[in-house]
Amino acid sequence: MKTNDGNHEIHEPLTIHVVLYGAVARYGGGKHIASIYMDFEAGAVLGNLYEELKLPQNEKGYVFVNSVLCDAPGLNASETLMLQNGDHVGIFSANHMWPYQYRDGIRMSDALREVLQERGAMHHSYSDSPPDQ
Amino acid sequence: MGKKILRINMTELKATYEDVPAEWARWAGRGLTSTIVCDEVDPGCHPLGPNNKLVIAPGWVTGSPAAPSSGRTSFGAKSPLTGGIKESNAGGLSGQKLAKLGLHAVIVEGQPTDKKWYYAVITNDGVTFHEADGLMGKGMYEVDDILGEKYPKTAIIGIGQAGEMKLSNAGISVNDPENKPGRYAGRGGLGAIMGARGLKAIVVDDKGGPGVEIADKECFTNGRKALAAAIGEHALTKKDGGLNAYGTAILVNILNEAGGLPTRNFSSGHFEGAAKISGEAMSEAIEKRGAGKMGHGCHPGCIIQCSNIFPDEEGNELVSAIEYETAWSLGANCGIDDLDYIAHATRECNDIGLDTIEAGNTVAIAMEGGLLEFGDAKGAIKLFDEIRKGTPLGRILGQGVEATAKAFGVHRVPTVKGQSMPAYEPRAVKGIGVTYVTTPMGADHTAGYTIAPEIAGVGGKVDPLSNEGKGDLSLAFQATTAFIDSTGYCLFIAFPILDIAEGFAGMVDTVAGVTGLKITGDDVVPLGKEILKKERLFNEAAGFTAADDRPPEFMRDEFLPPHNVNWTISDDVLDGVYAWVHAD
Repeated sequence: MKTNDGNHEIHEPLTIHVVLYGAVARYGGGKHIASIYMDFEAGAVLGNLYEELKLPQNEKGYVFVNSVLCDAPGLNASETLMLQNGDHVGIFSANHMWPYQYRDGIRMSDALREVLQERGAMHHSYSDSPPDQ
Repeated sequence: MGKKILRINMTELKATYEDVPAEWARWAGRGLTSTIVCDEVDPGCHPLGPNNKLVIAPGWVTGSPAAPSSGRTSFGAKSPLTGGIKESNAGGLSGQKLAKLGLHAVIVEGQPTDKKWYYAVITNDGVTFHEADGLMGKGMYEVDDILGEKYPKTAIIGIGQAGEMKLSNAGISVNDPENKPGRYAGRGGLGAIMGARGLKAIVVDDKGGPGVEIADKECFTNGRKALAAAIGEHALTKKDGGLNAYGTAILVNILNEAGGLPTRNFSSGHFEGAAKISGEAMSEAIEKRGAGKMGHGCHPGCIIQCSNIFPDEEGNELVSAIEYETAWSLGANCGIDDLDYIAHATRECNDIGLDTIEAGNTVAIAMEGGLLEFGDAKGAIKLFDEIRKGTPLGRILGQGVEATAKAFGVHRVPTVKGQSMPAYEPRAVKGIGVTYVTTPMGADHTAGYTIAPEIAGVGGKVDPLSNEGKGDLSLAFQATTAFIDSTGYCLFIAFPILDIAEGFAGMVDTVAGVTGLKITGDDVVPLGKEILKKERLFNEAAGFTAADDRPPEFMRDEFLPPHNVNWTISDDVLDGVYAWVHAD
């Protein structure tokens, strides 16, 4: 339900479309891909969604919300991102590759941008101890 | 015995073994093919004429004992598709066998005066020429079967009907360990160059060959162990890692979620049917049908094994391999979400001898031009038969995207230097766009692989959303890639050598160990730039200017959904990427 000016009402429950790719699909009832709808109370954040899925932090790789990159393997930059009704969330396993040259310049969330500016955008973070920069 | 250059003269049907000139001895793979093309091919020559040459070279470490994932073979010439220099490399069996015969490179030149077609057999005893009547008009599956039966346990380099017709989208096939075609030096139409020499196939039998000499065994062995450990440890390249489990098509869903998967001839970055044609979907189908496999190796000694064998609906092995770019070009970019169609179309490409990227893009152009509708899989599969038969329509389609766009009045043409773009939308993935438009190879996703910033010398912190620095970064990536393309290693070692410092040092040590070259990690980018400079100067002599380093016009004008972004990299940035060539 929306207000007259098109904004979401504060107490409107949220329905989120979640697709899990790779090994993490098992947290959504699939093997390689799981596509599910999840309901949350207003004010929910991505961290709540991960909790609801029982998705371990170290298994989570790239995460997208509505085509915007919000997280990358090992960075955990998305937990406080507010969910909106109708959001599409795509969650990949930690071992899904995405070489830097194929993501250089892609649209991403402010939170992830800050983390990447701090950590260095180029290195993958698949290793436990990424090389010093 | 030192390495030799094998020169095959198709005019005289004569083969000669030559000592390796000093200026060629330090190069291998792409570095060597580009050096020889620059030294021996007139940049102004017609690509299909008598003055072009096909150069074949294994990498520095190819054929050396147990260097992991190092079976690449480089093919080089002046390209009929781009009009510039071209190097395209493939897995399969050829590189290791050529190297084990002690061959530094093979140069194929001339054209038969009797207009006949031949195949050549290279053994440790020399080269024999055979009339190819029994192979003509046949696709590569049959060619590999016939030659494989006659010359068992050999490498077979060949061209399908597309190469016989000298079409600009003809690739060169190399057989895989199961003696099937599918490992292609696909890009740039090099199959037409082989066809223009009157050469249908080359059989390579390494029995009795001298093998690859190791200049410094300790250095090589230590390097090999460090690199193998890095590949085995890394999440992407280890057994059951991302590449092994889902192949390169693991990228389909990622690029789609990011809004960077070119769809319906680069009109959107999102394809609603992406999940159905992804690596995850391939795994599911293979498990369900109980046939085929993920985790297939394209050459002996590969420890990454990102290839696959995909079965048909009845559970019979149909084709190897469906790569990311293949699934995208034949699928999403044509609006087709049918994995079985993609498998059949890939087999058609492997058989006829077509680059799947250019072929898929060409079908998409034909769809945009009104020949058929986007999403029409049944109509699309028939187009490959037109090419195989060499009908007038088939010959237009076989010339690739630009020729087809002209034939059907399409102005939205996703090419650079005559070669169509791969599976990363440059308006959404801005960094790759700089590489697409500036590499001497024409739009090519493999021309700029990531290297650690401290090695590239571009600084550790890069703003991922800024256009600033993208030119320098692209140049560093292109130089690194030119180096790796010369090693004979698969580009996918880039992941572990980026993340694991010991792996990078190990890779360089294997090159130093095999060749005796005194090189370290600091030499990677400078050596790569030497190669790029040769290629750039060849293209300039062939008539290329700054105007050829530009994106397609429609990408500046049209905003790409879902992010509604257009091309925003300035021409100054593009012109700066290779400014050093004349400044140094």
